[in-house]
Amino acid sequence: MTILCVRFQLPPTDEAALPGLLGLLEEFTPVVEALPPDGALADLRGAERYFGRSAVELASVIRVRALALYGVDCVIGAGPGPMLARIALRDAQPGVTCAVPEGAVAGFLAGKPVAALPGVGAATARTLGEYGLDTLGLVAAAPLSTLQRLVGAKTGRELREKANGIDRGRVVPNAVSRSLAAERPFTRDELDADRHRRALLSAAEELGSRLRAVDKVCGTLTLTVRYADRSSTTRTRTLEEPTAHSAALTKAAYGMYEALGLQRARVRSVALRAEGLGPAEQASYQLAFDPVDEKVRRVEEVADRVRAKFGPRAVMPGTLAA
Amino acid sequence: MPGFTHLHTVSGFSLRYGASHPERLAERASERGMDALALTDRDTLGGAVRFAKACAKAGVRPLFGVELAVEKAEPDGREKRRTPVRGGAFIDESTPRVTFLARDGARGWADLCRLVTAAHTAEGTPLLSWQDNHADGLTVLLGPASDVGRALAAGRPDRAARLLAPWREVYGDALRLETVWHGREGTGPGSLRLAARTVGFAAEQRVRPVLSNAVRYADPGLGPVADVLDAARRLVPIDGTRELDSGEAWLKDADAMLRAAERIVEGAGYRRDTARRLLEQTRATAAECLVDPEDDLGIGTVHFPEPHLVGADRRTAQRTLASRAAAGMVLRGYSGKRVYWERMHRELDIIAHHGFASYFLTVAQVVDDVRDMGIRVAARGSGAGSLVNHLIGIAHADPVEHGLLMERFLSKERVVLPDIDIDVESARRLEVYRAIIGRFGAERVATVAMPETYRVRHAIRDVGAALSMDPADIDRIAKSFPHIRARDARAALEELPELRRLAGEKERYGRLWELVESLDALPRGVAMHPCGVLLSDASLLSRTPVMPTSGEGFPMAQFDKDDVEDLGLLKLDVLGVRMQSAMAHAVAEVERATGDRIDLDAVRPGDPATYRLIRSTETLGCFQIESPGQRDLVGRLQPATFHDLVVDISLFRPGPVAADMVRPFIEARHGRAPVRYPHQDLEGPLKDTYGVVVFHEQIIDIVAIMTGCGRGEADRVRRGLSDPESQGRIRIWFAQHAAAGGYDAETIQRTWEIVEAFGSYGFCKAHAVAFAVPTYQSAWLKAHHPAAFYAGLLTHDPGMYPKRLLLADARRRGVPILPLDVNASGVAHRIELVSESGGFEGVGGTGGSEGSRVPEGSRVPEGSEAPEGSGVPGKVWGLRLALSDVHGISEAEAARVADGQPYASLLDFWERARPSRPLAQRLAQVGALDAFGANRRDLQLHLTELHRGARGSGGGGGQLPLAGGRKTAPAGLPDLSSAERLSAELGVLSMDASRNLMDDHRTFLDELGVVSARRLRDAGHGGIVLVAGAKAATQTPPIRSGKRVIFTTLDDGTGLVDLAFFDDSHDACAHTVFHSWLLLVRGVVQRRGPRSLSVVGAAAWNLAELVELRAENGLDAVAARLAEPVPEGSGDPAGGRRIHMPTGYEMHPWADLRPAGEEPAKARKLWHQSPGSAG
Repeated sequence: MTILCVRFQLPPTDEAALPGLLGLLEEFTPVVEALPPDGALADLRGAERYFGRSAVELASVIRVRALALYGVDCVIGAGPGPMLARIALRDAQPGVTCAVPEGAVAGFLAGKPVAALPGVGAATARTLGEYGLDTLGLVAAAPLSTLQRLVGAKTGRELREKANGIDRGRVVPNAVSRSLAAERPFTRDELDADRHRRALLSAAEELGSRLRAVDKVCGTLTLTVRYADRSSTTRTRTLEEPTAHSAALTKAAYGMYEALGLQRARVRSVALRAEGLGPAEQASYQLAFDPVDEKVRRVEEVADRVRAKFGPRAVMPGTLAA
Repeated sequence: MPGFTHLHTVSGFSLRYGASHPERLAERASERGMDALALTDRDTLGGAVRFAKACAKAGVRPLFGVELAVEKAEPDGREKRRTPVRGGAFIDESTPRVTFLARDGARGWADLCRLVTAAHTAEGTPLLSWQDNHADGLTVLLGPASDVGRALAAGRPDRAARLLAPWREVYGDALRLETVWHGREGTGPGSLRLAARTVGFAAEQRVRPVLSNAVRYADPGLGPVADVLDAARRLVPIDGTRELDSGEAWLKDADAMLRAAERIVEGAGYRRDTARRLLEQTRATAAECLVDPEDDLGIGTVHFPEPHLVGADRRTAQRTLASRAAAGMVLRGYSGKRVYWERMHRELDIIAHHGFASYFLTVAQVVDDVRDMGIRVAARGSGAGSLVNHLIGIAHADPVEHGLLMERFLSKERVVLPDIDIDVESARRLEVYRAIIGRFGAERVATVAMPETYRVRHAIRDVGAALSMDPADIDRIAKSFPHIRARDARAALEELPELRRLAGEKERYGRLWELVESLDALPRGVAMHPCGVLLSDASLLSRTPVMPTSGEGFPMAQFDKDDVEDLGLLKLDVLGVRMQSAMAHAVAEVERATGDRIDLDAVRPGDPATYRLIRSTETLGCFQIESPGQRDLVGRLQPATFHDLVVDISLFRPGPVAADMVRPFIEARHGRAPVRYPHQDLEGPLKDTYGVVVFHEQIIDIVAIMTGCGRGEADRVRRGLSDPESQGRIRIWFAQHAAAGGYDAETIQRTWEIVEAFGSYGFCKAHAVAFAVPTYQSAWLKAHHPAAFYAGLLTHDPGMYPKRLLLADARRRGVPILPLDVNASGVAHRIELVSESGGFEGVGGTGGSEGSRVPEGSRVPEGSEAPEGSGVPGKVWGLRLALSDVHGISEAEAARVADGQPYASLLDFWERARPSRPLAQRLAQVGALDAFGANRRDLQLHLTELHRGARGSGGGGGQLPLAGGRKTAPAGLPDLSSAERLSAELGVLSMDASRNLMDDHRTFLDELGVVSARRLRDAGHGGIVLVAGAKAATQTPPIRSGKRVIFTTLDDGTGLVDLAFFDDSHDACAHTVFHSWLLLVRGVVQRRGPRSLSVVGAAAWNLAELVELRAENGLDAVAARLAEPVPEGSGDPAGGRRIHMPTGYEMHPWADLRPAGEEPAKARKLWHQSPGSAG
């Protein structure tokens, strides 16, 4: 009963508020793991003794502080391990902390759907569902060999352990937000490639400036195209070198978009996500003899400063201004 | 100012391009003072006949033409674009298009037909190749869309001149350059600059220019409709930021065209009065194009196949026919009967009078060919009234014995083409077509086109997609509507109670409704007509454009069935009748399993078991008498002879039902009312039907007797009765002649009332006799070979009910249902010997064996002996489900599975039957693989691994873990629960094969106090009951009171409950009834006879929803749901509006439609419906 899983009810684009909220948690314990975009795990093993309160009582304190300081509500699940805390979070509501009872873990898990387990994605859940293993109780009861035949040796073993409530995870402190996203919706079914590219350019510009604002670079870029029928296509590309340079991000985004070869697809939105974030000072940068690249980066630096002073729309690429 | 002639006009027959019907164009042309109008549809002449008729009516001279895509003279290199990962590629419309006009009469028309036919031989979209691009009788217009026009638009007059050369070479003086001004900017099509360049280029090249308006719609303001059509054709949404339709492409009058001409010539640098010369050229071009609809298209003349093809090469067709008929007399044993000889000679005289002998020989030839192929064939329609047809083997029933008249079919007074329809097995219909083509040659045979037109659902889908609406919304809106005309969309929203919720959000969709209505009845595709085949002489291809059908590649004329009649082409209707296929399958199964050959055409007439079955009204699956209304009628009429069946079929028509002929007939038949004749002379024709007029033949006889005119004349009079104008004239004529015949005024008055009231409704007795034959045959099969009968029904699915209902019926009648099993099931449904002695407990030990439980007391219809299991008493035959019913199985896969039987193990099955993985999984789910051991989920796991192994990526390397020989080892997965099995059966087979799905709810229904269908039979008239069941069929037929009544049939496992919802309950019930699958209904019992029972619904609930509430929240939640207020009825929202039929009776505007919601046959889900669907 020592791990809390907290999800702050943040508006979707406001990931910048997360570091502050993490700071709030760090007042209770140094062992805080961020779960971007809006969650965190906190290990309260020491804090319980220090504050003389149980984890569930501390959860109420955290909620009150988050509301008082940041005006942000939160939902909290508590459990003996990070996995159980996360599962407990599913049943929690604002003000009602859900705690996994220490002795009755198996009973708590038995009725839960398999998709509740962290690490079980839609595909695994579907596979298990096809074979009638749709609750964790059934998974726990199934023979290990059968599970391994279903989902593979390693996943099968882990799945069975998790379903039996064996939680081997630890809370690993990391203060880093690991991804940033920018989405550009269209008001109608958009087929025009130029307008798609314009949306991508704008999203890549936004990502770049947001990354540079927090001194981060990203290693991979993911493009998600959503269609009118609510389906979507996702492509991920690892960048040549981690960067926050808008031009490099735009180039990668264009490359992924062109490879889709869309013609009649009714696009309702394009979204870019920068992943694999790391500190900018540790990023390597391939120098080139071509002075253009250097100049572009310097222009970008200036533009960033102008934007910081006169607002985000003060400087922008010509195509977006039209 | 003389009128202007539009040389380039398209109608709605240009699929998803033209926005007006040909009739509208002709009307508008006439209103705007034009003397002539051309119709130049894209890739088709399909609108030509309708256009010609409309022009004749409007007083406008029609010109015929076509707009075709033509292969480029110089191919240009085009880079191939990457295949899109989603959404598909753009529709390529880059080929240049050119307009061809028929000039020289029949030769021009033949050239047009040839060009269109040639263009359709191309792969993919129609494209005219250069070697076919030549004709002597055509005028060619090169407009902005042609290669020359495009070069000019691109500012390349040099290239245009080069491209013009090959055209000039082929068409010489018949070449024109078409200039169009739609007020657009730039230099593209429709721009003033291109128009001016075209005129200048024409002068430079010495080619005559003509002015056109490239008309796409008749009236101004239809631009947005054209945009929707463009979007629907290109499969993209309307993009408001791009160039849309100019709105100018309407049928402009002469003044507007003169102004356009002036602007164009001024733009080209000429003086304004040069415009007159441009118009003069246009007029001269129009004047040259002379094609006469009567002489040149062949309207009004008849073309039969050459006599030598139908066995008359040495003698005339008439003599051949006479000798064949005489031979038939001897063959059928009528040679001693004078009546037959006289009638035969009289008929032959009539045939000779019209010169139709080769028509009869042609049909006889087709029928003979079909019969030789071993396909069941039967004539239907009025043709069955001809003795000659019977003698030469076309019709089965003897017309003299059944009192059928030749005159109803053909007489000297009638000048229209006679019409013989033949029914063949539906499953082999295409074989029949191939045989006909093989017999007469592809140059004489073509199938007939059937334009698919926009109705409300498709219109909503296309407009919604064009307007970028959410696909889920589009789907929901489209499915909420019954299958009505698109133009009624807004009226339906106002008036239909089941659309009330949708009407509330109507405003959200903006222009949707207006655009939907404007698409009304425009063709959106062309399909092959399901039964018409054209037979002609070798000149067919010069009179008809022919295109290949999409699937089978049959030649298909572009005209529809009405056009074909107007063109005087001989059309033979070859109807594929599923019941014939079903019966053929049943007979084949009996022969396969027992070795007995049944000749259905020779079964004993008047079989008591058969009539007992019919009278019991358990006629599900029997031809023509299975609908709820028919079951009710059969129950009241209690047929005992073949003639009774004929009457029964004739009475169950909208006309007789509307005219209330049923009640007096039933009263008289059961002796409750006296039989009355208007006059003693009329006893002859009316005696068989107790004085009630049922058949057309009786009207013919009455008129003939009373007035003394011949029967041929009497038939002509009968046809005139349906037209109110001629009815008045006939009345006077009738009174005069009857009075001359010595009848008193009162008799004449009473007889006239009968003739007037019933004449236009009655049914052709020849039709009814032709229908009654398969009715009797199918009932006979059901009575004597039930298992085989159901096997046939399930295989060919002939009826109005979903298959699961037939299965429930089989179960009720004591036919054991054997589950799907890869080692026993065939491609089609089969019969299997279950027990030699009659008891069949412990049947089918593999899996769903509870399926063969039979409810007690429902095994055998009361009062009859046990069904004679395939003729051998004491043996019980079961029905083995078929592989072909598995969802998503292909014919090849089914055949492979069946050919590889038996399989020793799962591995054996996997390797030899090579099923796809989803198919194998489905088979495992429904228990078809249960024989291989392990439970169904374990089997699925093994299959997945086999699949993985087959792909060569790990897996068990083809080795199955074996437990005890060839059985598959269990893997410890939980087996499917009983509800899951049922759900899998519904999902995979669309049938609840192991037990009735209502059985699971029995406890809940008992809690509610629901009366089962079996117990309902004993319920008293007027009692209030609750009934429940799965919806089997829903109809809103036209009925006598002119109101809209929803008829629904529910199946609850013990039988069927027929429900009627009258319009006072529609507000409360209509939406629920149309959109739910499982229903709980409160109603009042209506009893009209010992076997006639229905429930009048007052309130309806979605049972699936209640079941869920009961399971999750208990009875109190159900009570809360039932306590919710029900919307109050507000009377008839149609405001008493009625459609007045020409015959005088009234119909509710929304009756007689396919109702809203999904068809019950499509319901595959057990309890839930996805939130996206209309339910």
